[in-house]
Amino acid sequence: MLEIKDIHKSFGNNEILKGVDLTIDKGDVVVILGPSGSGKTTLLRCINFLERADKGTAKFGELEVDLKNASKREVLEVRKKTAFVFQNYNLFNNKTALENVMEGLVIARKVPKDEAREIAKKALDKVGLSEKYDSYPSQLSGGQQQRVGIARAVALNPDIILFDEPTSALDPELVGEVLNTMKEIANEGTTMLVVTHEMGFARDVANKVIFMDGGVIVEEGSPHDIFVTPKEERTKRFLRRVLPGSFDYEI
Amino acid sequence: MLDFEFLIDTFFVALSGVPVAILVTVVALLIAMPIGFLLAMTRINKIPVLNQIAKIYVSFVRGTPIIIQIFVLYSFLPIVINMFFEKYNIDYPVYDIHPIWYAFVIFSFNTAAVLIEVFRSALSTVDKGQLEAAHSVGLTTAQAYRRVIIPQALVSALPNLCTATVNLIKATSLGYAISLQEITLRAKVEANFGYNYLEAYIDIFIVYLILCILVEQLFKYWEKRLSRYKVASA
Ligand SMILES: Nc1ncnc2c1ncn2[C@@H]1O[C@H](COP(=O)(O)OP(=O)(O)OP(=O)(O)O)[C@@H](O)[C@H]1O
Ligand SMILES: [Mg+2]
Repeated sequence: MLEIKDIHKSFGNNEILKGVDLTIDKGDVVVILGPSGSGKTTLLRCINFLERADKGTAKFGELEVDLKNASKREVLEVRKKTAFVFQNYNLFNNKTALENVMEGLVIARKVPKDEAREIAKKALDKVGLSEKYDSYPSQLSGGQQQRVGIARAVALNPDIILFDEPTSALDPELVGEVLNTMKEIANEGTTMLVVTHEMGFARDVANKVIFMDGGVIVEEGSPHDIFVTPKEERTKRFLRRVLPGSFDYEI
Repeated sequence: MLDFEFLIDTFFVALSGVPVAILVTVVALLIAMPIGFLLAMTRINKIPVLNQIAKIYVSFVRGTPIIIQIFVLYSFLPIVINMFFEKYNIDYPVYDIHPIWYAFVIFSFNTAAVLIEVFRSALSTVDKGQLEAAHSVGLTTAQAYRRVIIPQALVSALPNLCTATVNLIKATSLGYAISLQEITLRAKVEANFGYNYLEAYIDIFIVYLILCILVEQLFKYWEKRLSRYKVASA
């Protein structure tokens, strides 16, 4: 459903992505792990053109685009097929929760307002924010803001939702509510590509785990493959660091 | 002692100049806002050439007294207009052009430069994540600016916009230099008859004071309305 080939991206002389290939099927929950600076965010951002890659192609079902030279129209097409959940939520500060969710539906997808409002309410209900339709982001906790962010993505009914460390900016006690929300939408069959440091989520929810380092995919496989029987030395070293003591964890 | 009758009569004379002052202010703002906004965008996005021009323009306007800008433009514009008229065989006496047209140009020119910096700093207060989020849900950059970024930038621009507007109103008093029949000139002409300058100046003083206080209140009210979303954090 999503097929990415040979993404390259440099900032100045610094090559951040050195040829990444990625295939995601409908309903997949793919988790990307990797040390800081390995290019995980950059990869996600190149997929929906928040960043222009230097090279590479992406195929969303029928739609195939050149990640470097895509036209404005193609960029908008791709963005209709994707949604993004940001590390620091990036809710529209001047809009209520409901308006945040409606914005892309009404303005970009030209859904009639009344219909969009119903869709948006359903999405907010799903993430447990039925009480907060009319709250502005400044009135919501971090966890609630991120759940609005997820509702905003879900409401668009995209082919895939890209998550960039959705829980990293949250206070520890708020991480759980967001992970649970993500788990629920994963269980509904939403296709998700998730960058996270939450190993528990990777183990329990992902059906595919990718380990990135230095701008390349070092190893990929099922959670079992990666967490229990990693083959690459770099993967093992990374896991020892992030899962101290629980390296022999059995699924 | 003060001539109270004159003071009161002249107050209304000064007051009769208010519409002109407001007209010049509003027109200058309407012209300067889009220009200031576009040039602010060229500054923010570092568009070559235009960025440099905007920079020079701003330092030129900032680095010279308004009264000198008025004299320069007031002497310079007729020459340009004359050349233009001659080239296109327009038969209109340049020196019959009403001074208010010069006022529009001069004050737009001055205010646009001020607004470049006002808008530039206001736009920079909006996190770039807002544009990215708008892009990610499928908005074009123009839609993102209209619906998300400008509404937020406007809120932080309002205090400076208010200052710029008040300064502009006060600056229109210099319109007397180009024979513009605004507040100051009208009151001064009254004073010329009997040398009641003190009374006339007191009237001018009061009229500007009232005008500027009203404008400030208006902006405060506007800011309050627009910043409703900034409710105390939860
Ligand atoms: N806009 C940019 N300009 C210059 N360098 C950048 C830019 N964005 C990212 N980089 C650099 O690219 C490298 C990879 O960044 P990226 O954010 O993709 O890593 P990451 O894997 O997401 O790391 P983290 O886990 O810390 O989020 C970093 O060294 C970063 O400094
Ligand atoms: Mg990152």
